[in-house]
Amino acid sequence: MTEDLIAARARALAGALAECGFARLRVRDGETEIELRRTPRNGAGAGSVPTFAPAEAAAPAVAPERRADLVTSDVVGVVRLLRPAVTEGQELDGDRELAYVETLGIRNPVRSRGAGRVSSVFVTEGQPVEYGQPLFAIER
Amino acid sequence: MFRKVLIANRGEIALRINRACHELGVSTVAIFSDADRGSLHVRHADEAFCVGPGPVMRSYLNIPNIISAALISGCDAVHPGYGFLAENARFAEIAADHGLTFIGPKPALINAMGDKATAKRLMREAGVPTTPGSDIVANADEARAVCAQIGYPVLLKATAGGGGKGMRAVTAPEELPTAFATAQAEAEASFKDGRMYVEKLIVNPRHVEVQVLADEHGGVVHLGERDCSVQKPSHQKLIEEAPAPELDEAVRARLHDVATTATRAVGYTNAGTLEFLVAGSDVYFMEMNTRIQVEHPVTELIYGVDLVKEQIRIASGEQLGFTQDDLHPHGHALEVRVNAEDPDNNFAPAAGTLTTVVFPGGPGIRVDTHVYGGAVVPPFYDSMLAKIVAVGRTRESAIVRMERALTETRIEGVKTTVDFCRELMHEPEFNAGGIGVGWLPAVLARKAAAV
Repeated sequence: MTEDLIAARARALAGALAECGFARLRVRDGETEIELRRTPRNGAGAGSVPTFAPAEAAAPAVAPERRADLVTSDVVGVVRLLRPAVTEGQELDGDRELAYVETLGIRNPVRSRGAGRVSSVFVTEGQPVEYGQPLFAIER
Repeated sequence: MFRKVLIANRGEIALRINRACHELGVSTVAIFSDADRGSLHVRHADEAFCVGPGPVMRSYLNIPNIISAALISGCDAVHPGYGFLAENARFAEIAADHGLTFIGPKPALINAMGDKATAKRLMREAGVPTTPGSDIVANADEARAVCAQIGYPVLLKATAGGGGKGMRAVTAPEELPTAFATAQAEAEASFKDGRMYVEKLIVNPRHVEVQVLADEHGGVVHLGERDCSVQKPSHQKLIEEAPAPELDEAVRARLHDVATTATRAVGYTNAGTLEFLVAGSDVYFMEMNTRIQVEHPVTELIYGVDLVKEQIRIASGEQLGFTQDDLHPHGHALEVRVNAEDPDNNFAPAAGTLTTVVFPGGPGIRVDTHVYGGAVVPPFYDSMLAKIVAVGRTRESAIVRMERALTETRIEGVKTTVDFCRELMHEPEFNAGGIGVGWLPAVLARKAAAV
């Protein structure tokens, strides 16, 4: 991705960062990895635009620092949460399937990509989602 | 009429379709890639779905995600625009399987016309003149035998081809093996179909195409012709106009007649364009495009017909609201494609952020675009930023108007074709009218030699 595109993607993820209340947010898509950090002096209210900076030029760490990985949808479809449905605060002991997104009758599994604490569940059963839409935040 | 239409495209044509839908009282759903989040086609739609990342294979060609977006949002039809999935019969079939009306012709006709060798055969059978040539040739030796019969120069063409890809001109037998191998490799890479055929090369013909509309109740009309002879060396169109200037009236009438006869003969429905090569009083069918075309506005401006609305009406089962006798062209229209390309460097595409964007206005000017000041031009897509269209009572007044409009246009941040096209408005041969497709490459060669 070009710098312009990364910036556009980062802006799109800004809302999710504000919503889950973390200082740092990381999202992976194939060859690209975007990490957002919120700096206190920017103000941290919803709707504020987080600073986007490459990791090496990051602002001084916010204490206490918590980091969340965003699990996003790879497809356009309808969310089906696995039963029992994953809840906020739940600890995951490893890579776990959390839900699937149904596209034209095909189940696309959504995995936690490792252990962690489910800090946010952004979607509800049966909700339509688009490509790249945040589904869960996992605190590592 | 449909309730809600998914627009399976991006850029200016997605916006164009959105406008037609809204004027018909139809709701719209846009799709976009990560790279197009800020595009105007997203902003103006009633709903929008991100269907994938920037690369087209994962977004604008991602059939499952696109169909899924249409179903989730409750659409009853899908408009493919041009390019991407517009001539993909499989997409049209999948849409139909999911209860979505594909706004275009039936899949069997998309297939027949998409395969150029089949299209030529069907047209020949319908009495349409075609260039002398062959069916599929398996290798360079078979091609050589055909060439010996029809005589050089010839064109090697990929049956799945388009946009100049998989095409080579051959002037002598010894060039055949290399030309065949490279054209076939290009076709394999671009279309996953390396089948080739041979055609007599008509030297410096005019590219004249006829717009047709056909409803599902047997109504067929033509909306005259467009002249698209100003083409880059890559055979891509740069300036189009309607009607074709300096065209013999008998040739014009013959083109219109042949186009409507062929449309009826193959049972075509919706909007379509039959492309012809014209050399003197000879006309040769080249191909039929089973979609709306980039240059459709020049026809709209002189006929006063909204072609995209007609496409939607036809697909929803309505009859044409007019007959041939109701259609009369008025004046002359020109279109210039404003591309993010460097005319001084073989029209190499450019990407980046548009720092300044000022489009022209005033009498007789129409601008179809999806960009604005601050917009990002992603590297993944066609480089067209806008179409500037000028209409006047005469061709001369349309050229003057276009020259004025291009002078008003300011696009900064990427190189564009604006200034280059403005200079072309002063070229004596262009002003005289009736140039062939070899004209622009010759102008470029002359300019290169002068440097």
